[in-house]
Amino acid sequence: MPPHLEEQIIEITLPNQVGYERIAMASAATFAKMLGLAPERIEDLKTIVAEASINAMQHGNKDRPDARVSVSMMLKSNSIHVAVADQGKGFSTFLPDPNIERIVNELDPPVGFGTFLIRQLADQVDIEKTADGTNIVRMTIKL
Amino acid sequence: MPEVNEIKLETRDAITVMDIRGDVTAFSEPFLNDAYQSANARGTGKILLKFDSTAYINSGGIAVLIQVLAQTQKNKQLIGITGISDHFKKIFNMVGITKFAKIYESLEDALKQMA
Repeated sequence: MPPHLEEQIIEITLPNQVGYERIAMASAATFAKMLGLAPERIEDLKTIVAEASINAMQHGNKDRPDARVSVSMMLKSNSIHVAVADQGKGFSTFLPDPNIERIVNELDPPVGFGTFLIRQLADQVDIEKTADGTNIVRMTIKL
Repeated sequence: MPEVNEIKLETRDAITVMDIRGDVTAFSEPFLNDAYQSANARGTGKILLKFDSTAYINSGGIAVLIQVLAQTQKNKQLIGITGISDHFKKIFNMVGITKFAKIYESLEDALKQMA
């Protein structure tokens, strides 16, 4: 692993439109490859970055076209730390885990998969509410 | 950022293969629903969803797929999946899709086992 990558922050901002999360996914994958993360964990990282970005666009920023989503990544203590920040006040916690039996039987709406995947695939997840009411989802993947 | 899916329907050995080209996201809903309705109109009892191995499938796409699963359950149809990457096999297993649809390693394997 190149030693100069330790604690260097990579930060990108995305337009608030679903689809642009792919830019963050590609950046995260490149960063993780430079750090030597295993290929299967790079796929996990791409998924959590995508889902946290989509969550920020839709639920944090409430699909506001003028809002942005910020995605930052950093290597620290042998882990990749990702923070996804919105500019809205849309949510304070993640949805409960989806129950596929209830969804298939049309008893529950088909929602909650993104945050479920984040919880399943990341080694650690925290939601931080900032002083101005916006949200930062912090996720960690160990090398 | 709407996208377009091209979905070809083909009947092989009484199995309707839905060959889904492109990524699967919330924008795929009308394409998948139309394709499913067309398959259903053929009176099929068995449906195989064939994906691009490089397809990006996000939570919105998973929700759309589960809505298709719900329709197949209601219509008492057997449904299978093939073509997805190892990562999405893991994801489909995590969210529970594999409780309702078996994942096959290849099209040939799916056609043989679903026949």
